Amino acid sequence: MAEATVAQEGRRPGALRRLGRSESLTGWSLVGPGALLIGVFGLLPVLMSLKLSFQRSDLLTPDTPWVGTKNYRQLADDPRFADAIQHTIVYTALFVPGTMVVGLLVAAAMNRSVRFISVYRTAAYVTMAVSTISEGIIFLWLTDQDYGLVNAALNKVGISSQPFLSSPSQALYVIVAMTIWGWTGFAVIVYLAALQGVPVELHEAAAIDGASPFTRFRTITLPLLSPASLFLVVWLTINALQLFDEVWLTTKGGPLHATTVIVYYLWDQAFVQFNAGYAAAMAYALFVVIVLVTAVQFRLARKHVHYS
Amino acid sequence: MKSRPRRWMVALVTVGALALAGCGGGGGGGSAGGKTKIVVWDGYTDAQGKSFTALIDKYNKEHPDVEVTQLVSSSDLVLQKVLTAVRGGTPPDVAYMFGSWAPNIAKIPQVVDMSPYVKQAAWNWDDFYVGERQAATVGDKIVGVPALVDNLAIVYNKKLFAQAGLAPPSPDWTWDDFRAAAKALTDPSKKQYGWLIPADGSEDTVWHYDAMLWEAGGDILSPDNTKAAFDSPAGIEALTMLQQMTVTDHSVYLDTANTNGTKLMNSGKIGMMVTGPWDLGSIPDIDYGVQVMPSFADSDAGHQTISGPDNWVVFDNGSARKQAAVDFVRWLTAPAQVKADSLATGDLPTRTSVGQDAPFVQQLNKNLPGSSTFVANLSNVKKVRPSVSQYPAISEAMGQAIVSVMLGKAQPAAALAQAASATNAALSGN
Repeated sequence: MAEATVAQEGRRPGALRRLGRSESLTGWSLVGPGALLIGVFGLLPVLMSLKLSFQRSDLLTPDTPWVGTKNYRQLADDPRFADAIQHTIVYTALFVPGTMVVGLLVAAAMNRSVRFISVYRTAAYVTMAVSTISEGIIFLWLTDQDYGLVNAALNKVGISSQPFLSSPSQALYVIVAMTIWGWTGFAVIVYLAALQGVPVELHEAAAIDGASPFTRFRTITLPLLSPASLFLVVWLTINALQLFDEVWLTTKGGPLHATTVIVYYLWDQAFVQFNAGYAAAMAYALFVVIVLVTAVQFRLARKHVHYS
Repeated sequence: MKSRPRRWMVALVTVGALALAGCGGGGGGGSAGGKTKIVVWDGYTDAQGKSFTALIDKYNKEHPDVEVTQLVSSSDLVLQKVLTAVRGGTPPDVAYMFGSWAPNIAKIPQVVDMSPYVKQAAWNWDDFYVGERQAATVGDKIVGVPALVDNLAIVYNKKLFAQAGLAPPSPDWTWDDFRAAAKALTDPSKKQYGWLIPADGSEDTVWHYDAMLWEAGGDILSPDNTKAAFDSPAGIEALTMLQQMTVTDHSVYLDTANTNGTKLMNSGKIGMMVTGPWDLGSIPDIDYGVQVMPSFADSDAGHQTISGPDNWVVFDNGSARKQAAVDFVRWLTAPAQVKADSLATGDLPTRTSVGQDAPFVQQLNKNLPGSSTFVANLSNVKKVRPSVSQYPAISEAMGQAIVSVMLGKAQPAAALAQAASATNAALSGN
């Protein structure tokens, strides 16, 4: 629409002034409804929760006294918040590289023309289509201490049954495995698209020069995949820092808080313990961390990402 | 409390979601056209929804000057929705709310204190079971009228008892009998357990323990609600019983995700469950029996149980609507409606006079076998959880103590002492 208008009017000299006005009007009328929705349901709540983070609020009474920076100072000496940070860091450090490595391997295996390749590609992506709720229930039963298929398989090869999600020392790692499974399809799609953009000539030239397939993968493919890798690192890290659904579905932050990550603790404080102001402060602390982590990732990327 | 099977709640917690409480919502009542319109928010679906809708239709027909409409949404989320609506100045006229929220509901200024109304003879307030009345009372306020009641008893698999050569549990059984039965019902080779307990550390774990604590002669808090009392010899005795069964005997399946209970019970893998009448409909494949909770042999507190009554809460939307809402709730909770609704849904009656009506109980038990034991068990509700707004923090501390003992990570006395100090800190406002 807009382009057509611009093209037509642009042909007539003297209409330039009018064009400027009508173009911006058309532009605003197109983005207006979207911008309004984002403003009301995105920006406004963000600002209101900033206000909330400087108040004491139980979400029940209209009385919300200002408490200054008390909520933020309280974060510093809350041992459960410190634990939640630690769990989140461990989770992120395992989940992000794990998903990328598995995704890259699967994508590399599928980057070839064999029969039924589209079936395999669909199969790899299907984990993204499974709802988190189904994923949670499936993994609960798979990893059940007594009735789970995983333990049945372990027993067959002579390993004794593991408690998995029922054990404070194993539960977090089961959630790592479960979410890697859930996100692999996403990484596969991104890597597969990037792999198909790697020029065949480079590989052929290197092969003629005597480079082994592994050397070619390391020195040609990997550097050319770096923009895709950067995207995945940023995207997966943000998602990892906001982990909630899978925890809520499988362990409720337990056993003994072993899987209480930041957003789960935030939810618990806001909607179970009714400390909404404190939870809002936590949300803002997390927001700042995400911004910082992303900024660092982009800065590192300048050195290591090759766009051509 | 959590008296319905939990709905999967899509809880998207973001910075934005927190601010929802600041936005407005829709009430929808009014008094146009000479009729007083009131809105009821409830979470009733299926058989319950059908029965409740029929009751509303009946009321509207009998009262031409009032129009009652309902808005159905999940009871788990109703508190968040009501809070949003209250902030926007458009609360519902009546809402179904969980009893455990009572201390927090009491803080909402628009909630109508029912105490002046229920004193009137027409209400026959004392006809409600004592546990229900206590749970609706916060200080000198009555924040709601009992809407639904339940309690915990033992549901057992008759076939597994027979296979293990055990006699069915008797009404005067003790926790030692219970422990021995659980041990006999456990067979690792068949992956069969004597008992299943929710072990996610939530209030669901805690209220199982509360009933045992009271039976051992203990209390959750001191009488003036200022200090923890569960770290008493009675509290240790109850938790030690759990420790012996889980850690020593391995006769308990720890349901750490709290989602597997009825499915495993229904597949014949579990001998006994402590649960309420709402689960009876979910175990159609087994032949089950129901018995009251065991007692502690060395305690004179006898057989007790715990109840999680939910309430109809009335909100003030101006005097005309307030009066119409109060009148509707009085009618809804009168014996005739309690009886009709109970027979249609299988829910336990909220009034003593209905619970003691023998033909009624017989009919209820015919509809859903085992119901009569749960009705009789309502008389074993002797204590309720404390009505203090710090209760969520207390529940959290107790839940962690119980789970840490059952996982073999802590000793009962030490775990309870730690939970008690967290409780005392919460109660003193630190």
